[in-house]
Amino acid sequence: MSAVAPILALRKATKKYAGVPAIEDVDFELLPGEVHAIVGENGAGKSTLTKVMAGVVNLTSGDMLIEGRIVDARTPTEARDLGIAMVFQETSLVPTMTVAQNLYLGRERYFNRLRGIYIAAQQFMQSLQFDVDPTAVVSRLGAAQKQMVEIARAVLHNAKVIIFDEPTASLTPEEKKYFFDLIANLKKRGVSVIFISHALEEALQVSDRITILRDGKHVVTDETRRFDRARIVQAMVGRDLSQTLYGQRKTSVRAQGRRVLSVQNLRMAAMVKNNSLSVFAGQVTGVFGLVGSGRTETFKVVAGIAKRDFMHGGEVLLNGRPVRYFVPASAVRDGIVYVTEERKIEGFFETKSVADNIYLGLLAKLRGQRTLVSKSEAAAVGEHWIKRLNIRAISKDVKAIELSGGNQQKVVIAKSLIQEPELIIFDEPTRGVDVGAITEIHQLINRLADEGKAVVVISSYLPEVMSLSDRILVQRMGKVVEEFSALEATEEKIMYAAIH
Amino acid sequence: MIDALKQWTERLLGRGDAAITVPVLDGALRSNRLIEDAEVVAQLDAPEDLASDGHSLFVADGARVLRVDGAGAHTAEHTFDRTVSALACLPGGGIAVALGGSEVRVLGGPHNGRRFDAAGGRRLNAVNALAATAGARLLASDGSQTHPPERWKHDVMELGRSGRLVELDLADGGTRERAAGLGYAFGVAAVGDDAAWVCESWRHRVVQFGGASSGRTVVDALPGYPSRLARAQGGGWWLTCFTLRTQLVEFVLREPVFRKRMLKEIDPQYWIAPALTSGNTYLEPMQGAHLKTMGVVKPWAPPRSYGLVVRLDDEGLIRYSLHSRFDGKHHGIVAAVERDGWLYLLAKGPRRLLRLSIAAAQASLAAS
Repeated sequence: MSAVAPILALRKATKKYAGVPAIEDVDFELLPGEVHAIVGENGAGKSTLTKVMAGVVNLTSGDMLIEGRIVDARTPTEARDLGIAMVFQETSLVPTMTVAQNLYLGRERYFNRLRGIYIAAQQFMQSLQFDVDPTAVVSRLGAAQKQMVEIARAVLHNAKVIIFDEPTASLTPEEKKYFFDLIANLKKRGVSVIFISHALEEALQVSDRITILRDGKHVVTDETRRFDRARIVQAMVGRDLSQTLYGQRKTSVRAQGRRVLSVQNLRMAAMVKNNSLSVFAGQVTGVFGLVGSGRTETFKVVAGIAKRDFMHGGEVLLNGRPVRYFVPASAVRDGIVYVTEERKIEGFFETKSVADNIYLGLLAKLRGQRTLVSKSEAAAVGEHWIKRLNIRAISKDVKAIELSGGNQQKVVIAKSLIQEPELIIFDEPTRGVDVGAITEIHQLINRLADEGKAVVVISSYLPEVMSLSDRILVQRMGKVVEEFSALEATEEKIMYAAIH
Repeated sequence: MIDALKQWTERLLGRGDAAITVPVLDGALRSNRLIEDAEVVAQLDAPEDLASDGHSLFVADGARVLRVDGAGAHTAEHTFDRTVSALACLPGGGIAVALGGSEVRVLGGPHNGRRFDAAGGRRLNAVNALAATAGARLLASDGSQTHPPERWKHDVMELGRSGRLVELDLADGGTRERAAGLGYAFGVAAVGDDAAWVCESWRHRVVQFGGASSGRTVVDALPGYPSRLARAQGGGWWLTCFTLRTQLVEFVLREPVFRKRMLKEIDPQYWIAPALTSGNTYLEPMQGAHLKTMGVVKPWAPPRSYGLVVRLDDEGLIRYSLHSRFDGKHHGIVAAVERDGWLYLLAKGPRRLLRLSIAAAQASLAAS
């Protein structure tokens, strides 16, 4: 406990989603006028913790205190009234409105004089030394300027606490420098800042204190000067949970088969930069990287979901043959399937039954070869895969939305496997999946590799990558920067490669 | 007309044949320093090829064939009036040599004195590898019909496609052309009754001719320029690659006007082209990425020259690889021979005979 009374505190904060804790018994204190960095792996609970503070999600148990007083911010508006504002990674500004209109959104009177709003906004922005034209339409602003408008809006609402979620992810180096000046400016004004970042050097550079979360639990909070990069990384990845969930370290790896996929100098806008990698038959290739490292985008290009750069976009070779897919169906016909990380959006039709969803996978593979849909075939296919993947559904006719996360994921996997792929790309295969289903999905992934399939597992969770993969590719800033054999990889080595 | 339009579109968009991409060194091709750390057995004058009869090691060095012992001491076994461009030990005794690329001669054994200067109705021009088969026949890779072996760099920059595989019958002196139109045939191995693997250096692959799968590409999309093949004890093959592909060279190969002018006006040693050695003069062309930072050469920089040996299994799958990276010296590996648990390598760049313990190399790779 510090001598200065915290402006915001959480006591034994727990938030559970469907019984699975995203954060558990977390104690957190934010001091007046401090910049506090929250650091942790993907899924460590950083975003949930800050969303609790900002009223976006509500605690399952525990308390939130503002200036020593227990409060209950159940909506972002209530949190804002308590002086807490959050600047999201994707800005919450209305793109078609002007800067001034966005600033005063939600504070309108019955009659608003537009000129008055512009003059007030101009004066306010100048007082913050923000060089943004209040009459400019937000959609035309750069990322840094949008951040400025978000910050200005937070200050205008008398925020005493401003939370930034990955604020620098989309900024250029110059914009980052400007952003750090803004943080210093806010600090001078007595505003407390919470700062989530994957870039450890940024946390070390701008924060006064650092809190590290791991697996939804508080690990350590200390003054920034007491941390160095190695201590942060160690605290981020050293865990007990991984041992119980993911077992012992690998002692052998599968032999490399023929090269199924060769990605050469792939480019896709700013997300994938000259990326090259290979995937081999009979192996699980793990791909690790922090959010924004371009892992998903690379493999979405491979699977025909996203498109590489139109000019000089590099090459994708499947079994030595150059391929370029404009739609996923073409990739599916060639034996490539992508098991999405966004299963609820891209993975299945939530109002369709389990059997129908799986059958749709087969129809996608047989496009043009079936003119009639067979209900009996759909039922048979559903029965077969429910049994094969141990999908725990009351019947094949139950709607996908009614299943648990783990079983929904199995439906998505079944829908892909029915297409008899040669290359299977799993993107975050166990995100939001209960522990029992995680084990089953891992067994399935291993079985596919043992059968000689080329398997890719994209995961932000290091123990998962390490327990599944025969070789591990680490991506950073749009390209593979390091490759490890599973035998030599350690969490520290992988994390170091992902960050540096 | 459609072809021209397609080519123009591909050049504009950087796609298809105009995609300036190279395969990455990953998986079993992940880089290491095993060739760089190899023991230097002998410093030679102009090494070209290696062969072993199971007892002795023979090295083609300029116009001589040397017998080398384990300590590196060597004695001249044969001396010729021309450079020895390929060497092979024959199962029945004796050796076969290619002289200047244009003549194959047998010395010793039951076929002593047999000579070949043409095959399949065409003169031998750039014989750079020989392999004996079980039935008293000799397979030879004739790299190019337009350039002799020492002008290989001209052939690659002219996109040569005149290589061929020929078969020479030692018993009756007959010859046969097994394959033609190869993108520089450099390296050959007899893999079965009638089957042969041939390296096509400029196409970065190994192709099978004869046998059940004739025409099959055994190894495709290699990141380097393959050269000779040697049998590995316990099954499989050693494939040497004399340098790596780079995007810069790939780019130049797709720019005919620039390339022709470079060939015409620039000294070959300063061409933007594959090289067996580098870092010898500041006049060498630079590539993307700084070569040196604070006086230290970056091992991962795009290489002008490189050392690479690939271990293949019997199916042509890559099991592991040995490297000398850009910051090393043991570049331009053109031949390998396995003997008594040691792998002997010929590094043409620094003109060295190297050797490394295969068990130690495997242990090192298993730990990494």
